[in-house]
Amino acid sequence: MRPHARQIRLGVASALTWLAGLGCLGHINRVAAAPLTVTVMLQDGRPLSGVVVTAHPATGSAHSAPPVHVIMDQIDRAFVPDLLVIPTGSTVGFPNSDTVSHQIYSFSPAKRFQLPLYRGKPYAPVLFDQPGVVTLGCNIHDSMLAYVVVTDAPFFGRTNTTGSWTAEVSDGRYQVTIWHPRLRDNDPKILQGEVTVGEPDGGTLTLHLVNQLKPAPLEGRPRSWDAY
Amino acid sequence: MGRLLDACLSNARLLPVLALLASGCRTPAMAADWELDLDGRLVSVEAPPPFIAGGFGSLRFGGNESGLRIGRIRLAATQTFGNLWSVHLDASSWGDHDKIPAGLTEAWLQLRPYPFAGPFGGYRLRIKTGAFYAPISLENRTSGWESPYSLSYSAINSWLGEEVRTIGTEAQLDWLGTRSGQAFEIGLTAGLFGWNDGAGTALAYGGFTLTDRQTVLWGRAGAPGTRLLNRAEPFREMSGNAGAYGGVEVRYFDRVVLRFLRYDNDANPGTPDPVTHAQSWSTTFDSAGVRAESGNGWTVIGQYLNGGTYISPTGEDRRWPFRATFALLSKRFGPHTFSVRYDRFEVDGPGDDEDEGSEVWQKGHALTLAYIFQPGPQWRITLEWLHVTGASYSLEEFADGPPLVRQTQVQLALRYAVGPAR
Repeated sequence: MRPHARQIRLGVASALTWLAGLGCLGHINRVAAAPLTVTVMLQDGRPLSGVVVTAHPATGSAHSAPPVHVIMDQIDRAFVPDLLVIPTGSTVGFPNSDTVSHQIYSFSPAKRFQLPLYRGKPYAPVLFDQPGVVTLGCNIHDSMLAYVVVTDAPFFGRTNTTGSWTAEVSDGRYQVTIWHPRLRDNDPKILQGEVTVGEPDGGTLTLHLVNQLKPAPLEGRPRSWDAY
Repeated sequence: MGRLLDACLSNARLLPVLALLASGCRTPAMAADWELDLDGRLVSVEAPPPFIAGGFGSLRFGGNESGLRIGRIRLAATQTFGNLWSVHLDASSWGDHDKIPAGLTEAWLQLRPYPFAGPFGGYRLRIKTGAFYAPISLENRTSGWESPYSLSYSAINSWLGEEVRTIGTEAQLDWLGTRSGQAFEIGLTAGLFGWNDGAGTALAYGGFTLTDRQTVLWGRAGAPGTRLLNRAEPFREMSGNAGAYGGVEVRYFDRVVLRFLRYDNDANPGTPDPVTHAQSWSTTFDSAGVRAESGNGWTVIGQYLNGGTYISPTGEDRRWPFRATFALLSKRFGPHTFSVRYDRFEVDGPGDDEDEGSEVWQKGHALTLAYIFQPGPQWRITLEWLHVTGASYSLEEFADGPPLVRQTQVQLALRYAVGPAR
């Protein structure tokens, strides 16, 4: 069976998203030495997946990962994917594959912009040239919410279903920071940590959240339920 | 069945207008979002005839109206203009005794500028002009101002649909806290309106009802010839005074919504309508409500309404205080939704005291059980059982019936919806 055009777009988007997540690999290959593993645990001991992890060398300077171009589509009145992690200087395309028009806005300090109402892909990709978390919304459909995390870190990614993220890095000490849209914790002592790679039994860091997560967006309701 | 066909044919007059709007702009970016809903009912009812049929029943159907009925035929379209403006037209037919077979329940122009950054995060201003529902109901949340939990609305929202509409301008300022990492969002609403001086007529004489019939603009809530009522047309301007309302909405993520609103139509209670000779009804009310939803499909809604309506045809005030409340519990299992709702409602009067009526005019309570199966956006099947127990002065005095009546209505509804807005 021939795949539907939307499925192809989704596949490409997913692949590009993963490439964005692994964008540091080209950088890593030149200096690979040992694994750096970060694990994030909820306050009840369960692992938390999807956490954005960034790692900088604690001393000296480091180049950020090379910029990439990725896609965040709009399908069935939702951003797909609803979270991207990209190096500073990257570009994001925002096609609208929906049957209805969408508009995109951000008033986040790291990137303020808006794309006037559209369908298809009439606009050039948007450049994200400042690090920070950019929150996106649609002025027509309030339930649409997405995030673009722009980072200067040479190493970054998201935790898997076991709550872990691993990257191959050169020996040394690293400062690690985590972020997730549902975190209530804001204490740097909880959201940041340092880890040494290259020492026996080193290279692993586990961060324990203290507070419960914010509630996840409600899913599964017919979209017409929020007309008033 | 004949009535079903007659109404369908009559509604054909209105359809081309909306069809033109729906297809008016040919480029994909400018195409209107439209929706057509066809809702048919199999009804079994034991109740006096409804107010629109000249009776004082508390349900949408009554008398000899058991059988196949039109639930609603609805055609709606939303057209955007540029990036900030949109127009929405919402036309319906209920297949009943209104003076026109179909009409508009809402018609508005909205300006929705882009959100902007300010102190403590982002803000958005929305301005709507035309005819529309004020942000009161927490139950009527789906397109067409329908409830996703049952066919019949609560007593509070049945009355709002029957007699209360903003025909004017509303401004809403939202603080978009969740767009800047906060847990809450806050909205402030203010509205100015006219053409609602008839609000209160049906409530004072017919009392609260549990129905899903929404009076179309400049349609009527009562039947012509009904004693005391003239035509009970809620959407008329008689006194020349602008009414106003103000409200606050607080949201906790997308889980909890709180709404408060104060409404005053500021009608001059001594002014008759020069055309219909109906009295101008001065109506005020406060409403408060909460809706909470869980991640596993539970919904709880509670709403409260307290107000009064009065006329002074001879310079002497005749006042009907009223109050109503309901609690709704609903559980969704994928395409299946089960809901139970309990309503209490009361109308006093007509007294001449500022605060209290002289006697109980209508007092009742109702239990609603509903099951909805909606496998997709097109088809919806609903089975609803609704039982009302209530005492009504009007039933005894004007319909020669017993004051205490138990009314039961069972409906099996099949709805087909089509269009990109679905």
